[in-house]
Amino acid sequence: MNPVFRPVRELAEAIRARRLSPIALTETFLERLERLGPRYNAVVTVTRERALREARRAEAEIAAGRWRGPLHGIPYGAKDLLAAVGAPTTWGAAPLRAQTFDTDATVIHRLEAAGAVLVAKLAMVELAGGMGYRQPNASFTGPGKSPWGPDAWSGGSSSGSGSAVAAGLVPFAIGSETWGSILSPAAYCGVTGLRPTYGRVSRHGAMALCWTLDKLGPLALTADDCGLVLEAIAGPDAHDPSAADRTFTHAAGDPAGRRFRFGVLRGVDEGAEPAVRAAFTRSLDTLTKLGTVEEVTLPELPYDAIARTILFAEAASAFEDLIESVAIAELTAPEDHYAPYARDAILAKDYIKALRLRGVVMRETDRLLAGLDALVAPGRPATAPPLEGEFRSLHRPALDPMGAIGNMAGLPAVAVPNGFSESGLPTSLQFMGRAWADDTVLAAAHAWQSITDWHQRHPAID
Amino acid sequence: MRRMSEPAPDPREAAFLFDLIRTRYGNRLTPEQLEGVRRGVAAVVAQSALLRAVRLSNADEPVQRFVPFRADA
Repeated sequence: MNPVFRPVRELAEAIRARRLSPIALTETFLERLERLGPRYNAVVTVTRERALREARRAEAEIAAGRWRGPLHGIPYGAKDLLAAVGAPTTWGAAPLRAQTFDTDATVIHRLEAAGAVLVAKLAMVELAGGMGYRQPNASFTGPGKSPWGPDAWSGGSSSGSGSAVAAGLVPFAIGSETWGSILSPAAYCGVTGLRPTYGRVSRHGAMALCWTLDKLGPLALTADDCGLVLEAIAGPDAHDPSAADRTFTHAAGDPAGRRFRFGVLRGVDEGAEPAVRAAFTRSLDTLTKLGTVEEVTLPELPYDAIARTILFAEAASAFEDLIESVAIAELTAPEDHYAPYARDAILAKDYIKALRLRGVVMRETDRLLAGLDALVAPGRPATAPPLEGEFRSLHRPALDPMGAIGNMAGLPAVAVPNGFSESGLPTSLQFMGRAWADDTVLAAAHAWQSITDWHQRHPAID
Repeated sequence: MRRMSEPAPDPREAAFLFDLIRTRYGNRLTPEQLEGVRRGVAAVVAQSALLRAVRLSNADEPVQRFVPFRADA
């Protein structure tokens, strides 16, 4: 079988039945990473030596009848903000090119325990976008490119995680989201991305951008695959007090027959690109095959300002040393050299006010979601922006109420492909659910992918 | 919780805060970069004005749980 563009679940069945060798599978993806990775600026380090060691071990264990589960022998890539022994962990930033750690991040450790094979550290926007970048060229590895267009940005900050999955360089990848960094590359690269509930996955060994917003999650070809990965990486961790004492079991049953109750925030697609609005309108019609769709509202609150205040204040502290040092001038994006200084203007009282308002938003959103399975919305309001030019303005940031609400309230969301623009760029649909309802949003996304085929379309690569 | 009318940020506040940042970091920034910081400060002040315009009750606590620490607990 050709293993490229096959869901993890299919690869796992072939490996378990010993129709597919983990070593051969790993060699296939190592070759693609080395040959095609530079085309998309998707890779920081190919971890060939570690990958082959882990693949040989998987092959031997499976031959001996010790199959660990569906990730055993499956290659994957990790965003380069996750510490991994034996490779640099650059955080996408030129001044940190040589940074190394002597322990694996908890997520890397758990994937190794599940038998997965780390084949690459994947490119990312420098410091996960924490300095306020405004254009795609904001990483020392160059601007991430979407495989769907020669001039299309991959999104960020999990740029390489999105483009590597979309180009068939890895079966799945780990990304991180503080605000939009999983859903954006999933949307622009036409793949499936899961932002888990805050606290579902330990962040130990991951770069901190904003302690109360950072989440780690998978990008893959299907929602089912995201569930398989989440099951392996979720759970409590003594090294991360924010990791909740909850395990996660992925229910991969046939979604046929399950009826969902979907909500749509009034005006949620206003201002979106016409192709995005058209795809979203068609999606709402398709979703009626899976359940009900109703318009809903939330109180009028400054959602973006609340989330942005929390993000900017915490990031200013998280990167205080770098911002105060001359090393900030070595970052790739020119605006990252000075934009963070403005955050000194956030007063303590206003940060606390944002945290108090966050409580109001959490309660109001939970009250709304208690009567729904998921809110649905465009994954992003636009298709992939071009590589040149600004995609947002410093003094007029694009409003993103779903992203602001979902991230400040720590809610799970899945982005899935739902169409294409006239120029062939993917559009995206997101399902956002109640806290800890990761299984519900995954089930909804899985049901969507059981009646659509957008996730089975892949860019012309070779 | 009560939302007041759309607030107008006070330009004097932005000017004062920008002066503070210029005092701290001005010697390392070009005039173009300082102009970018000035616009960034104006955005922060506008953002803060939006937060201050929402009235909360005394019981609305910040979402930041404090837990006393004891190593052997």
